[in-house]
Amino acid sequence: MCNATWGEYWRDIDGESMFFCCDVCADIFETMVNKIKENTGWSSIDRVDLVGNYNKGRECSAKKGNDEFKYYFRTYSNGKFITFEKR
Amino acid sequence: MMRCPTCLVELEGGFTELGRHIFNQQIQNDAGHITWINRYVGRSRTDEDAFISNVTAVFQNESLKEWIVHQFVRKFYGADPHQFILAMQRPSKFVLLGYAYEHHHFLKQWVKSCASIISNTDIEEVQHYELDNISSEWHGAGSTIPSHHELLLRMGESYGVKREDIYATEALDSTKLAISTWDYICRDLTFVEGMAAMHSLELIANRNIRNYGSSVWYFNPEILSDGSVTMETAEFLKEGYHADVIHSEVALDLIEKYSKKLNLVQPVQAIVMKSMEEFDNYLNARLERGAMLENK
Repeated sequence: MCNATWGEYWRDIDGESMFFCCDVCADIFETMVNKIKENTGWSSIDRVDLVGNYNKGRECSAKKGNDEFKYYFRTYSNGKFITFEKR
Repeated sequence: MMRCPTCLVELEGGFTELGRHIFNQQIQNDAGHITWINRYVGRSRTDEDAFISNVTAVFQNESLKEWIVHQFVRKFYGADPHQFILAMQRPSKFVLLGYAYEHHHFLKQWVKSCASIISNTDIEEVQHYELDNISSEWHGAGSTIPSHHELLLRMGESYGVKREDIYATEALDSTKLAISTWDYICRDLTFVEGMAAMHSLELIANRNIRNYGSSVWYFNPEILSDGSVTMETAEFLKEGYHADVIHSEVALDLIEKYSKKLNLVQPVQAIVMKSMEEFDNYLNARLERGAMLENK
Protein backbone atom coordinates (compact mmCIF):
# COMPACT_ATOMS: atom_id res chain seq x y z
CA MET A 1 0.00 0.00 0.00
CA CYS A 2 2.65 2.56 1.01
CA ASN A 3 5.62 1.08 -0.90
CA ALA A 4 7.63 0.83 2.31
CA THR A 5 10.18 -1.94 2.77
CA TRP A 6 10.13 -1.59 6.56
CA GLY A 7 8.33 -4.10 8.74
CA GLU A 8 7.16 -7.57 7.78
CA TYR A 9 3.48 -8.35 8.27
CA TRP A 10 1.66 -11.19 6.50
CA ARG A 11 -2.08 -11.67 6.10
CA ASP A 12 -4.22 -14.11 4.08
CA ILE A 13 -6.53 -12.10 1.81
CA ASP A 14 -8.72 -13.87 -0.76
CA GLY A 15 -6.83 -17.12 -0.18
CA GLU A 16 -3.44 -15.55 -0.87
CA SER A 17 -0.74 -14.87 1.70
CA MET A 18 0.24 -11.23 1.19
CA PHE A 19 3.15 -9.14 2.50
CA PHE A 20 2.59 -5.70 4.11
CA CYS A 21 4.70 -3.41 6.28
CA CYS A 22 2.09 -3.31 9.05
CA ASP A 23 -1.47 -4.20 10.04
CA VAL A 24 -2.85 -0.78 9.01
CA CYS A 25 -1.77 -1.27 5.38
CA ALA A 26 -3.22 -4.81 5.48
CA ASP A 27 -6.51 -3.45 6.91
CA ILE A 28 -6.74 -0.86 4.13
CA PHE A 29 -6.08 -3.43 1.41
CA GLU A 30 -8.54 -5.95 2.85
CA THR A 31 -11.29 -3.33 3.25
CA MET A 32 -10.64 -2.11 -0.30
CA VAL A 33 -10.98 -5.65 -1.69
CA ASN A 34 -14.27 -6.13 0.17
CA LYS A 35 -15.62 -2.80 -1.12
CA ILE A 36 -14.74 -3.73 -4.72
CA LYS A 37 -16.63 -7.02 -4.30
CA GLU A 38 -19.64 -5.24 -2.77
CA ASN A 39 -19.76 -2.77 -5.68
CA THR A 40 -19.23 -5.27 -8.51
CA GLY A 41 -20.69 -8.53 -7.24
CA TRP A 42 -17.43 -10.26 -8.23
CA SER A 43 -16.39 -13.27 -6.13
CA SER A 44 -12.71 -12.66 -6.81
CA ILE A 45 -10.45 -10.01 -8.37
CA ASP A 46 -7.70 -10.66 -10.94
CA ARG A 47 -5.73 -7.44 -10.52
CA VAL A 48 -5.75 -3.98 -8.90
CA ASP A 49 -3.73 -0.91 -9.90
CA LEU A 50 -3.38 1.98 -7.45
CA VAL A 51 -2.05 5.46 -8.27
CA GLY A 52 -1.69 8.20 -5.64
CA ASN A 53 -0.67 8.51 -2.04
CA TYR A 54 -1.99 9.05 1.48
CA ASN A 55 -2.49 12.82 1.04
CA LYS A 56 -4.19 12.83 -2.34
CA GLY A 57 -5.98 9.54 -1.98
CA ARG A 58 -5.68 6.80 -4.59
CA GLU A 59 -7.21 6.55 -8.07
CA CYS A 60 -7.57 2.84 -8.71
CA SER A 61 -8.66 0.23 -11.21
CA ALA A 62 -9.72 -3.36 -10.47
CA LYS A 63 -10.00 -6.01 -13.20
CA LYS A 64 -11.84 -9.32 -13.47
CA GLY A 65 -11.44 -10.91 -16.90
CA ASN A 66 -12.52 -8.20 -19.38
CA ASP A 67 -14.45 -6.21 -16.76
CA GLU A 68 -12.97 -3.13 -15.11
CA PHE A 69 -14.09 -1.18 -12.01
CA LYS A 70 -12.60 2.28 -11.44
CA TYR A 71 -12.68 3.85 -7.99
CA TYR A 72 -11.06 6.37 -5.63
CA PHE A 73 -10.44 6.08 -1.93
CA ARG A 74 -8.81 7.95 0.93
CA THR A 75 -8.25 6.92 4.54
CA TYR A 76 -7.30 8.29 7.92
CA SER A 77 -3.79 7.43 9.14
CA ASN A 78 -5.24 4.55 11.19
CA GLY A 79 -6.65 2.99 8.02
CA LYS A 80 -10.30 3.94 8.54
CA PHE A 81 -11.91 4.89 5.22
CA ILE A 82 -12.96 8.53 4.73
CA THR A 83 -14.09 8.08 1.14
CA PHE A 84 -14.66 5.24 -1.33
CA GLU A 85 -16.21 6.40 -4.62
CA LYS A 86 -16.93 4.75 -7.94
CA ARG A 87 -15.29 6.72 -10.80
CA MET B 1 16.00 13.28 27.74
CA MET B 2 14.69 12.27 24.33
CA ARG B 3 11.08 11.66 23.36
CA CYS B 4 9.75 9.33 20.68
CA PRO B 5 7.69 11.30 18.11
CA THR B 6 5.23 8.42 17.74
CA CYS B 7 4.53 6.81 21.13
CA LEU B 8 5.88 9.79 23.15
CA VAL B 9 7.87 7.50 25.47
CA GLU B 10 10.77 9.21 27.28
CA LEU B 11 14.17 7.73 26.47
CA GLU B 12 17.44 8.15 28.34
CA GLY B 13 20.47 8.90 26.19
CA GLY B 14 20.69 10.59 22.81
CA PHE B 15 19.80 10.08 19.16
CA THR B 16 21.38 6.60 19.12
CA GLU B 17 18.90 5.41 21.73
CA LEU B 18 16.02 7.16 19.95
CA GLY B 19 17.03 5.61 16.62
CA ARG B 20 17.33 2.14 18.17
CA HIS B 21 13.90 2.45 19.78
CA ILE B 22 12.21 3.37 16.49
CA PHE B 23 14.18 0.72 14.58
CA ASN B 24 13.09 -1.97 17.04
CA GLN B 25 9.47 -0.86 16.77
CA GLN B 26 9.50 -1.34 12.98
CA ILE B 27 10.94 -4.84 13.44
CA GLN B 28 7.78 -5.52 15.45
CA ASN B 29 5.69 -4.13 12.52
CA ASP B 30 4.30 -1.27 14.58
CA ALA B 31 2.15 0.81 12.21
CA GLY B 32 2.64 4.18 13.93
CA HIS B 33 6.43 3.99 13.96
CA ILE B 34 6.58 2.69 10.37
CA THR B 35 4.37 5.56 9.25
CA TRP B 36 6.74 8.01 10.95
CA ILE B 37 9.77 6.38 9.27
CA ASN B 38 8.08 6.56 5.85
CA ARG B 39 7.26 10.24 6.29
CA TYR B 40 10.46 11.54 7.82
CA VAL B 41 13.28 9.08 7.06
CA GLY B 42 12.30 7.28 3.84
CA ARG B 43 10.53 4.18 2.56
CA SER B 44 13.57 2.01 1.79
CA ARG B 45 14.94 -0.22 4.50
CA THR B 46 18.52 0.46 5.66
CA ASP B 47 20.72 -1.16 8.31
CA GLU B 48 20.47 0.09 11.89
CA ASP B 49 23.57 2.32 11.81
CA ALA B 50 22.45 4.16 8.67
CA PHE B 51 18.96 4.43 10.13
CA ILE B 52 20.23 6.05 13.35
CA SER B 53 22.25 8.53 11.31
CA ASN B 54 19.16 9.37 9.19
CA VAL B 55 16.96 9.81 12.27
CA THR B 56 19.56 12.17 13.78
CA ALA B 57 19.49 14.25 10.59
CA VAL B 58 15.69 14.66 10.80
CA PHE B 59 16.07 16.60 14.06
CA GLN B 60 19.08 18.76 13.14
CA ASN B 61 18.33 22.50 13.00
CA GLU B 62 19.89 25.94 13.29
CA SER B 63 16.62 27.54 14.42
CA LEU B 64 13.83 25.55 16.08
CA LYS B 65 11.24 28.08 14.86
CA GLU B 66 12.35 27.63 11.24
CA TRP B 67 12.42 23.85 11.67
CA ILE B 68 8.81 23.85 12.93
CA VAL B 69 7.64 26.09 10.08
CA HIS B 70 9.48 23.92 7.54
CA GLN B 71 7.95 20.71 8.89
CA PHE B 72 4.47 22.23 9.02
CA VAL B 73 4.61 23.57 5.47
CA ARG B 74 5.99 20.26 4.21
CA LYS B 75 3.19 18.33 5.91
CA PHE B 76 0.16 20.50 5.09
CA TYR B 77 1.20 22.80 2.23
CA GLY B 78 3.74 20.65 0.33
CA ALA B 79 3.50 19.12 -3.14
CA ASP B 80 0.10 17.67 -2.22
CA PRO B 81 -1.61 20.15 0.14
CA HIS B 82 -4.05 18.69 2.65
CA GLN B 83 -7.45 17.90 1.12
CA PHE B 84 -9.20 20.19 3.60
CA ILE B 85 -7.02 23.12 2.48
CA LEU B 86 -7.81 22.31 -1.16
CA ALA B 87 -11.52 22.20 -0.27
CA MET B 88 -11.19 25.63 1.41
CA GLN B 89 -10.03 27.30 -1.81
CA ARG B 90 -13.72 27.33 -2.90
CA PRO B 91 -15.54 25.87 0.10
CA SER B 92 -19.01 24.40 -0.24
CA LYS B 93 -21.71 24.95 2.38
CA PHE B 94 -21.11 21.41 3.67
CA VAL B 95 -17.34 21.81 4.00
CA LEU B 96 -17.97 24.94 6.11
CA LEU B 97 -20.60 23.16 8.19
CA GLY B 98 -18.23 20.24 8.77
CA TYR B 99 -15.71 22.87 9.90
CA ALA B 100 -18.25 24.41 12.32
CA TYR B 101 -19.38 21.12 13.90
CA GLU B 102 -15.91 19.64 14.52
CA HIS B 103 -14.08 22.88 15.29
CA HIS B 104 -16.48 23.63 18.13
CA HIS B 105 -15.05 20.57 19.93
CA PHE B 106 -11.50 21.55 18.98
CA LEU B 107 -11.93 25.03 20.48
CA LYS B 108 -13.49 23.65 23.66
CA GLN B 109 -10.30 21.61 24.13
CA TRP B 110 -8.12 24.52 22.99
CA VAL B 111 -9.07 26.72 25.91
CA LYS B 112 -8.48 23.85 28.35
CA SER B 113 -5.06 23.20 26.80
CA CYS B 114 -4.10 26.87 27.17
CA ALA B 115 -5.24 26.75 30.81
CA SER B 116 -3.17 23.59 31.42
CA ILE B 117 -0.11 25.33 29.99
CA ILE B 118 -0.68 28.26 32.37
CA SER B 119 -1.00 25.88 35.31
CA ASN B 120 2.27 24.14 34.38
CA THR B 121 4.49 27.23 34.54
CA ASP B 122 5.30 30.29 36.66
CA ILE B 123 6.75 32.19 33.69
CA GLU B 124 4.62 35.30 33.36
CA GLU B 125 5.24 36.06 29.68
CA VAL B 126 3.96 32.57 28.87
CA GLN B 127 0.92 33.01 31.10
CA HIS B 128 0.14 36.40 29.54
CA TYR B 129 0.45 34.93 26.06
CA GLU B 130 -1.95 32.10 26.88
CA LEU B 131 -4.45 34.45 28.56
CA ASP B 132 -4.48 36.64 25.48
CA ASN B 133 -5.00 33.54 23.34
CA ILE B 134 -7.88 32.30 25.54
CA SER B 135 -9.46 35.71 25.31
CA SER B 136 -9.42 35.92 21.53
CA GLU B 137 -10.30 32.27 20.87
CA TRP B 138 -12.92 31.74 23.56
CA HIS B 139 -13.92 34.77 25.60
CA GLY B 140 -13.83 37.74 23.26
CA ALA B 141 -13.59 41.32 24.49
CA GLY B 142 -16.92 42.94 25.27
CA SER B 143 -19.90 43.05 22.93
CA THR B 144 -18.00 44.54 19.99
CA ILE B 145 -15.22 41.91 19.71
CA PRO B 146 -16.69 38.41 19.65
CA SER B 147 -14.48 35.39 20.27
CA HIS B 148 -13.31 33.10 17.49
CA HIS B 149 -15.68 30.45 18.90
CA GLU B 150 -18.66 32.83 18.71
CA LEU B 151 -17.76 33.70 15.09
CA LEU B 152 -17.59 29.96 14.32
CA LEU B 153 -21.11 29.39 15.72
CA ARG B 154 -22.41 32.35 13.70
CA MET B 155 -20.88 30.82 10.57
CA GLY B 156 -22.79 27.59 11.25
CA GLU B 157 -26.02 29.52 11.89
CA SER B 158 -25.58 31.43 8.62
CA TYR B 159 -25.94 28.07 6.82
CA GLY B 160 -29.11 27.17 8.66
CA VAL B 161 -28.00 25.08 11.63
CA LYS B 162 -28.76 25.92 15.24
CA ARG B 163 -25.89 26.43 17.67
CA GLU B 164 -27.73 24.07 20.04
CA ASP B 165 -27.32 21.33 17.42
CA ILE B 166 -23.58 22.03 17.11
CA TYR B 167 -23.29 21.76 20.90
CA ALA B 168 -25.38 18.58 21.02
CA THR B 169 -23.54 16.73 18.24
CA GLU B 170 -20.80 14.43 19.46
CA ALA B 171 -17.39 14.86 17.86
CA LEU B 172 -16.26 12.27 15.31
CA ASP B 173 -13.82 9.60 16.54
CA SER B 174 -10.78 11.20 14.88
CA THR B 175 -11.58 14.55 16.49
CA LYS B 176 -12.02 12.86 19.89
CA LEU B 177 -8.71 11.00 19.58
CA ALA B 178 -6.83 14.15 18.58
CA ILE B 179 -8.41 16.11 21.42
CA SER B 180 -7.43 13.46 23.97
CA THR B 181 -3.82 13.55 22.74
CA TRP B 182 -3.64 17.34 23.07
CA ASP B 183 -5.27 17.15 26.48
CA TYR B 184 -2.63 14.64 27.65
CA ILE B 185 0.31 16.61 26.24
CA CYS B 186 -0.77 19.93 27.75
CA ARG B 187 -1.86 18.51 31.08
CA ASP B 188 0.88 15.96 31.78
CA LEU B 189 4.00 17.09 29.89
CA THR B 190 6.04 20.29 30.25
CA PHE B 191 4.48 23.68 29.48
CA VAL B 192 6.82 24.20 26.53
CA GLU B 193 5.80 20.88 24.97
CA GLY B 194 2.16 21.88 25.48
CA MET B 195 2.79 25.18 23.74
CA ALA B 196 4.51 23.40 20.87
CA ALA B 197 1.60 20.96 20.48
CA MET B 198 -1.01 23.69 20.26
CA HIS B 199 0.54 26.83 18.85
CA SER B 200 2.49 25.19 16.01
CA LEU B 201 -0.99 24.40 14.64
CA GLU B 202 -1.83 28.09 14.32
CA LEU B 203 0.51 28.15 11.34
CA ILE B 204 -2.40 26.62 9.40
CA ALA B 205 -4.11 29.99 8.92
CA ASN B 206 -0.96 32.14 8.88
CA ARG B 207 -1.29 34.41 5.86
CA ASN B 208 2.51 34.50 5.53
CA ILE B 209 2.45 30.79 4.70
CA ARG B 210 3.27 31.43 1.03
CA ASN B 211 6.46 33.22 2.09
CA TYR B 212 7.47 29.92 3.65
CA GLY B 213 7.10 27.92 0.44
CA SER B 214 3.40 27.07 0.20
CA SER B 215 1.69 27.28 -3.20
CA VAL B 216 -1.70 28.14 -1.67
CA TRP B 217 -3.15 29.99 1.33
CA TYR B 218 -5.41 28.35 3.90
CA PHE B 219 -8.28 29.65 1.79
CA ASN B 220 -8.52 31.71 -1.36
CA PRO B 221 -8.69 35.33 -0.05
CA GLU B 222 -11.09 36.21 -2.90
CA ILE B 223 -13.88 34.38 -1.07
CA LEU B 224 -13.82 37.05 1.65
CA SER B 225 -15.36 39.56 -0.74
CA ASP B 226 -16.76 37.81 -3.82
CA GLY B 227 -20.07 36.74 -2.22
CA SER B 228 -19.40 33.00 -2.56
CA VAL B 229 -19.60 32.49 1.22
CA THR B 230 -21.85 34.10 3.82
CA MET B 231 -20.85 37.34 5.52
CA GLU B 232 -20.54 35.42 8.81
CA THR B 233 -18.12 32.97 7.17
CA ALA B 234 -16.01 35.84 5.87
CA GLU B 235 -15.96 37.37 9.38
CA PHE B 236 -14.89 34.05 10.92
CA LEU B 237 -12.14 33.39 8.37
CA LYS B 238 -10.90 37.00 8.44
CA GLU B 239 -10.45 36.92 12.22
CA GLY B 240 -8.27 33.82 12.09
CA TYR B 241 -6.40 35.18 9.08
CA HIS B 242 -5.31 38.20 11.13
CA ALA B 243 -4.93 36.62 14.58
CA ASP B 244 -3.00 33.50 13.64
CA VAL B 245 0.00 35.41 12.25
CA ILE B 246 0.55 37.02 15.63
CA HIS B 247 -0.47 33.93 17.62
CA SER B 248 1.72 31.43 15.81
CA GLU B 249 4.85 33.54 15.36
CA VAL B 250 4.97 34.97 18.90
CA ALA B 251 4.39 31.49 20.29
CA LEU B 252 7.13 29.97 18.15
CA ASP B 253 9.60 32.54 19.54
CA LEU B 254 8.58 31.61 23.11
CA ILE B 255 8.80 27.88 22.31
CA GLU B 256 12.30 28.29 20.88
CA LYS B 257 13.46 30.41 23.81
CA TYR B 258 12.25 28.08 26.57
CA SER B 259 12.97 24.76 24.88
CA LYS B 260 16.61 25.81 24.61
CA LYS B 261 16.69 27.15 28.14
CA LEU B 262 15.17 23.94 29.54
CA ASN B 263 17.13 21.61 27.22
CA LEU B 264 13.91 20.32 25.65
CA VAL B 265 14.52 20.98 21.96
CA GLN B 266 14.24 17.35 20.77
CA PRO B 267 11.16 16.56 22.94
CA VAL B 268 9.50 19.68 21.54
CA GLN B 269 10.29 18.54 17.99
CA ALA B 270 8.79 15.11 18.79
CA ILE B 271 5.62 16.75 20.13
CA VAL B 272 5.28 18.98 17.05
CA MET B 273 5.42 15.88 14.83
CA LYS B 274 2.85 14.04 16.96
CA SER B 275 0.55 17.05 17.05
CA MET B 276 0.73 17.46 13.26
CA GLU B 277 -0.30 13.82 12.79
CA GLU B 278 -3.33 14.34 15.03
CA PHE B 279 -4.16 17.61 13.26
CA ASP B 280 -4.05 15.85 9.89
CA ASN B 281 -6.67 13.37 11.10
CA TYR B 282 -8.71 16.16 12.67
CA LEU B 283 -8.81 18.15 9.39
CA ASN B 284 -10.01 14.97 7.67
CA ALA B 285 -12.76 14.71 10.29
CA ARG B 286 -14.04 18.14 9.21
CA LEU B 287 -14.36 16.76 5.66
CA GLU B 288 -15.98 13.54 6.89
CA ARG B 289 -18.53 15.56 8.90
CA GLY B 290 -19.25 17.74 5.86
CA ALA B 291 -19.87 14.64 3.73
CA MET B 292 -22.13 13.16 6.43
CA LEU B 293 -24.23 16.35 6.51
CA GLU B 294 -24.40 16.50 2.72
CA ASN B 295 -25.59 12.88 2.44
CA LYS B 296 -28.05 13.12 5.33
